[in-house]
Amino acid sequence: MADKLDVKQGTLALMVLRTLDVLGPLHGYGIARRIEETSKNRLTLNYGTLYPALLKLEQEGCVTAEWRQSDNNRRAKYYALTATGRKQLAREAREWHRTADLIAVFLAPRREAT
Amino acid sequence: MRHVRAALARLAGVFTGPRADEDLREELQSHLDLETAENIRRGMHPDEARRQAMLASGGLTLAAEAVRDQRGLPWLESIAADIRYALRALRQSPAFTAVVVITLALGIGANTAIFSVVRAVLLKPLPHRDGDRLLYLRQSMDRPGGANVRFSVAEVRDFREGARSLGGIAEYSPWTLTLQGDDDAVRIDVGLVTGNFFEVMGLSPVLGRLTRPSDDGTGVPPVMVLTHAFWMRRFGGDSSIVGKQVRLDGNAVTVIGVVQAAPWFPNGVDALLNMVISPHHLSAFMVQSRSHRMTDMIARLAPGASVEQARTEVAAVYARMQSAFREAYDPGSHYRVAVIPFKEVLGERARLTLWLLMSAAAFVMLISAANVGNLTLMRGVRREHELVVRAALGAGAARLRRLLLVENLVLTLIGAILGVIIAMGGVGLLTSLAERYSPRANEIRLDAMVLGFALALAVALALLLSFAASLPKEGTFASWIAAGMRRMSGSLRKQRLQRALVVAQIAVSVVLLAGAGLLTRTMIRLSDVTTGLKTEEVLTIQVPLLTPSALTNPALVATADADAKDRYDRMRREIRALPGVIEVGIGSTMPLRNSQIDLEIKAEGKSPAAGEAAPRADLRTASPEYFRAAGVPLLAGREFSSTDRLGSSRVVIINQTLADRFFAGEDPLGQRIAWTGEVLRFTPISGDWRTIVGVVGTTQDGGLDAAPGPVMFMPFAQELAIGGGLVIRADSNVSALASASTRIVRRIAPTSPIENVMTVAQIKDQSVSPRRLNAELISSFGILAVIIAAVGIAGVLAFSVSARTNEIGIRMSLGADSGRVQRMILWEGGVLLAIGLGLGVAGAFFAGGVIRGLLFGVPPHDPTTLIGVAVMMGAIGLGACWIPALRAARVDPAITMRST
Repeated sequence: MADKLDVKQGTLALMVLRTLDVLGPLHGYGIARRIEETSKNRLTLNYGTLYPALLKLEQEGCVTAEWRQSDNNRRAKYYALTATGRKQLAREAREWHRTADLIAVFLAPRREAT
Repeated sequence: MRHVRAALARLAGVFTGPRADEDLREELQSHLDLETAENIRRGMHPDEARRQAMLASGGLTLAAEAVRDQRGLPWLESIAADIRYALRALRQSPAFTAVVVITLALGIGANTAIFSVVRAVLLKPLPHRDGDRLLYLRQSMDRPGGANVRFSVAEVRDFREGARSLGGIAEYSPWTLTLQGDDDAVRIDVGLVTGNFFEVMGLSPVLGRLTRPSDDGTGVPPVMVLTHAFWMRRFGGDSSIVGKQVRLDGNAVTVIGVVQAAPWFPNGVDALLNMVISPHHLSAFMVQSRSHRMTDMIARLAPGASVEQARTEVAAVYARMQSAFREAYDPGSHYRVAVIPFKEVLGERARLTLWLLMSAAAFVMLISAANVGNLTLMRGVRREHELVVRAALGAGAARLRRLLLVENLVLTLIGAILGVIIAMGGVGLLTSLAERYSPRANEIRLDAMVLGFALALAVALALLLSFAASLPKEGTFASWIAAGMRRMSGSLRKQRLQRALVVAQIAVSVVLLAGAGLLTRTMIRLSDVTTGLKTEEVLTIQVPLLTPSALTNPALVATADADAKDRYDRMRREIRALPGVIEVGIGSTMPLRNSQIDLEIKAEGKSPAAGEAAPRADLRTASPEYFRAAGVPLLAGREFSSTDRLGSSRVVIINQTLADRFFAGEDPLGQRIAWTGEVLRFTPISGDWRTIVGVVGTTQDGGLDAAPGPVMFMPFAQELAIGGGLVIRADSNVSALASASTRIVRRIAPTSPIENVMTVAQIKDQSVSPRRLNAELISSFGILAVIIAAVGIAGVLAFSVSARTNEIGIRMSLGADSGRVQRMILWEGGVLLAIGLGLGVAGAFFAGGVIRGLLFGVPPHDPTTLIGVAVMMGAIGLGACWIPALRAARVDPAITMRST
């Protein structure tokens, strides 16, 4: 397995928002699992990073949370994206792309080198 | 928006703790369950599945903690917890808390109160527009009363034309007028001002208008601008007064406005008028005579000019004036002009006293801070056990430091609150002190700046105390805990700090006590000064009947004078008839006061040596009974008699000082003496020769601490009745005569102001009361300091004894008797005491020089005071050492050894 990476706070929020956007309402465990799968297990999440991030998003009004029955009949707290959250996701995704492009330009191999 | 929402949510989170905790616990549990279920689905054994789930999730408690931090405002919650903890801890040691809080309250209270005065009187910007660009010009010369001789109109004119860096020059001439009310008459202090005065001063009206250049000169109606304070006091702030007429010295004067509240120099003033009210001020004498100096000059710096430029220019103009008009600047008197920022002039008389009080208060603060520091250090050592336990439970050094800081802040803030309450009480007393020294005393108040000062003191102290306590460095905890130590006993350093603080306390106390001692001895010296009078059972009543404006009106002056003399004589005879009265005299000037008129004199056949300052004498008149009534001793010759009338030959009585000045070694009686000088032309006083018929003793006129000057008395009947008052002598309890005498005076002179109904004893007391208040304030600071220092030294030794109980136990079991142990502790304290005393005496030596100007009859390095203070402090200090020493001597070796 490749080296595991720590997730930075800002990026984690973006991943959570994107996950909820794609999969719809989901509980904390589901979000964690999905992020780990998407990252091909290069990322691990523990409660200590995930739940504060979820709470922060809730405080900011990007997600709402409610207790529901899960598919296999267990009670779990489901998080769902709000309109604010959707806007926030769009904005952050855009910024992230711009930054990534910029960094990519900087780190590109020097073609002029002879 | 998003952030505001988050912040509000977090703030709300502070209060929803328990419910949210339950919700979180369930959520985390469900996460664990879901993961376990998943693991089982993958084929794991249920126990293993659960174990793996827990491993993957990284600890429930930690996660809960992280979520809790995100939910609320962790720093707010922990500070609240710290404050709760601090209050609980302080409640548990009430003695410590009480001592610290009281010490701090006294220190902060004294400093806050005195700072409020310093700020109002010395520091606060002037209310005048661009007040820092106002300059006061002062002309002075070498002779008694020559510290400020003011300027003549001719001199002002030269400065106005010659000094371009002075953008505008306002003229101000102090004057007194009698204001006739409906049923009373009061003498008011006014300033006669030029039309540009308010423009230059940068003052605005609160009502009506102020004087302007069109109010200058003759042929304009007299107008009056009320000062804010007088408007409130006399007219109750009635705005309808503007436009009305009042009667001043018999003239109708229109009140045109009220000027904003502002300090007036040199003394408070009730109103400002244009010059036309005083024909004298517009007379040819006033305008032309270079040596008729009655005007204060306040200038505003021209735009772009600096104070330095103004000084240079003023000096140049003044030098030209002196060479052009030699006769007006007697070279022996060293005439000079100083250019001083107006704000400094206003604070001039208060500065030394106030800085003295401020530094005394700062010293008290230092001592209380040192004491509180010591107490906190000692408490800190006792608490080391607790701190180690806290550290073991995971508190970092920063966290412990914060805990200490919160505790100290709680202490100092309570102290500050009490201190401000103390200051509120003290400000009234200090204002009455400041009124004697500064025209800005009415600006003293506990405003936001002063409260900020108290708060800053409290916070600074708390920081100092928190960082003085030594905390272990991060990482060294483990070793202590491992060693099972109950205390971090690196106390040697702390003991050294404590000892240094005790030495500082003693030294500072000695300095304060020495200051108090010098000022108290000054008071004793002053009370030893004899007034020169034979008795103090004398009542004085000032009742000026002849107003200055009547004096300057040649058509009226003769009748007005005859009328005044007639009234004085009736008053004298009626009061003389009161029971208990021995004698009543009339004179221009009351005993122990100055006449405010002094003129050059010359004696027949004596010419002053070249380069010597021209001799001057205080001008007074006296009736034949005056000397007997006032108790002025007649040393030679005779008193005036009823034959010394208008038209008979001119005679005078001089005081001993004047006799010594002119006739050392000869008999002054029968010699002739005369007023002289250029100014004489502008006064109603004759320059004719006068024969000396008597010599009286010199009295302490102008205060017990003032050097008495030469005085020349003329017969009351031979001169105009200038000034004027009654001197009443009784066999006993003269003050009981005050109301009966005042009634007679009121009946005979219903429209004249009656002033200063005071006994000679009261006049004498009035002249020393500012010094007494000074001495009392510094003494109370000194006593406070000594008490705090005594508590400090006793506390440190007591602590040292309790820390050394084991050692003392061992010593005793090895044969040291209790006397020896007691000597050991006494020696320990004695060394500190000796060092402190040494440093203190050195400091007092220096401080004595600084307060030289406030002393009288005591050298600034008075050895008696220094030795007395050192002995007193030594005795108190030893007393304070004795208590812990006795305690050490009572240590029972058997008990201490067993409890180790």
